[in-house]
Amino acid sequence: MTDQLRRLRPHGLDELFDEQAAIKVALEQRLHDTFDKWGYRRILLPTFGYSESLAAGASPELQRQMYRFFDREGNVIALRADMTPLTARLVGTRLYDSPLPLRFCYSGSVFRHEKPQAGQRHEFTQAGVELIGASSPEADAEVIALAVASLHALGVADFQINLGQVAYLRAALADRTSQDALEQAIGRKNDAEIARIVQELGLSAEASRLIRALPHLYGGRDVLATARDLAMNQEARDAVAYLEEVYACLAAQGVAEHVLLDLGEVRAMAYYTGIAFRGYVQGLGLALCSGGRYDDLIGRFGPGMPAVGFALGIERAMLVSSAAVDLAPDALFSGRTTADAWGLIARGRARGLRIEVDVLGRQGDALEAFGRARHARRIVLQQEDGYWLLEDSEGQRRVSLPELQEEMDRWTR
Amino acid sequence: MDPITVALPKGRMQDDVLGLFCAAGYPTEAESSRSLVFADKTGTLRFLLAKPSDVPTYVEYGAAALGIAGLDTVREGGHDLYEPLSLGIGRCHLALAGPASWRERDLRREPFLRVASKYPHLAQEYFERRDLSAEIIYLTGSIELAPAVGLADLLVDLVESGRTLRENGLVELETIMESEATLIANPAAHKLRSAEIREIIGRLADVVALRKVAP
Repeated sequence: MTDQLRRLRPHGLDELFDEQAAIKVALEQRLHDTFDKWGYRRILLPTFGYSESLAAGASPELQRQMYRFFDREGNVIALRADMTPLTARLVGTRLYDSPLPLRFCYSGSVFRHEKPQAGQRHEFTQAGVELIGASSPEADAEVIALAVASLHALGVADFQINLGQVAYLRAALADRTSQDALEQAIGRKNDAEIARIVQELGLSAEASRLIRALPHLYGGRDVLATARDLAMNQEARDAVAYLEEVYACLAAQGVAEHVLLDLGEVRAMAYYTGIAFRGYVQGLGLALCSGGRYDDLIGRFGPGMPAVGFALGIERAMLVSSAAVDLAPDALFSGRTTADAWGLIARGRARGLRIEVDVLGRQGDALEAFGRARHARRIVLQQEDGYWLLEDSEGQRRVSLPELQEEMDRWTR
Repeated sequence: MDPITVALPKGRMQDDVLGLFCAAGYPTEAESSRSLVFADKTGTLRFLLAKPSDVPTYVEYGAAALGIAGLDTVREGGHDLYEPLSLGIGRCHLALAGPASWRERDLRREPFLRVASKYPHLAQEYFERRDLSAEIIYLTGSIELAPAVGLADLLVDLVESGRTLRENGLVELETIMESEATLIANPAAHKLRSAEIREIIGRLADVVALRKVAP
């Protein structure tokens, strides 16, 4: 058994290499370049922590999906299942008196025990942002617009952001505590079940009408008017007015074309208190990114503070991104490695060329076969007599050291 | 636009379901359902025929945007799906059943429960909801056999007319959930092609409503 386990990977874990690894790193880099331009600063967070802090505000479902173990003192430790509780802890315990708002971005592995499938792994990489200490429609719009900019930066075409408002449903439920069964039924857009639960709860006629309409409240700006008509108390009207302002900000920034209002979007992180959104891409059966406002989470760790953020799954982005990487060396050097050769190699690398040295000293057919396998653009072989054999797309020729040097100075990536 | 792919359950319910789509304005050639993938005559939909219990899997992974499956199958798999329309066909219910002598017994006082089922998750969930612990024995068919030969005390299975139970000397003890054929949708597809999918759901809903009035 142990012999077998030594060679096995647990399910839902990936090992990436070559193009896949390079594309993943490149996508993360593009995201951080984008976050950086919007003024978001990088935070680096621990991979695990006490279960009490990592599970703060998480839904029962997410709590079930968390990996947990004991430390030597018998405390329950959990691997992070998303970055937001860790960011909330950092701000709530250490940064609460900073000038606000704070803008943070992160990326790294998170761990969830879900049914593994393409784009849904036990260990996956999330990149995202948190905008902390601002409770304004402008803040929500900034985060959504940044999500749109991020999807553009990733080279994802044909995407759509579905924007909902958790506070609207909560207003209809008034003082009733969390209604898991109802939220589940709305999440499934199951009209018959919603009708049954609404009846069981004995809600007012207005509240029932609003809740039963929720799964069908999606589309453009006209959804807001319908939602306003259905609103039966000040809270619900405020929730719609807020969403309207967010939508107006998005329109002013020219990104409303990517945004579809969707008030039935209630299947979100349990800690969301206001707007919530998810990004979908043609050809991917899962959401690519998701985010929302969470005004009550930081208060669990320190002074309360409003916040809004989003996270994006890099593995899912890899499934739909048009990004390509080039791993081919600009030149493969082999033969006698003299000081002359090392000088050329160092000079080329300093100019930004990717130069690989065949440390096995191959020549002839073997060298050529290796060069092909690595997709090398050129092969350079130093010969016994001090001359060099240079092979590129134009064929093979013999050159002297100064000739080779001159030629190399013209090479570009 | 590409046609919308709809996964249909092969076998018993197949004709009923195709009849429903036909009435909704998506007719198919009579002989086309002999192949596993075929289009409707309008070219709006592409149907695929799958084993009924596999339909939610096709939809969850996005290989099909829509599907038709029994609500029991959908819930047993714990799939993340939309269930926008109940179709009023294939009605049945999931029930706890056993020998008639169990009518008099209080499950809370039983030291040990062994329950055979094709629906291990729904069965487990039911016992947990009642604060009972039971050993669920997963079987894939002829569940009624289990109590007769002492493999299990009780069973959790779908009941349509109740005839199979009676023939095996069993009685229904409690209803666990109602089920019927349900239209399911992949959430991402539902959002990305909402206008087209809304149209299809609307037309099916009209047919279902009409049938409820005049069956």
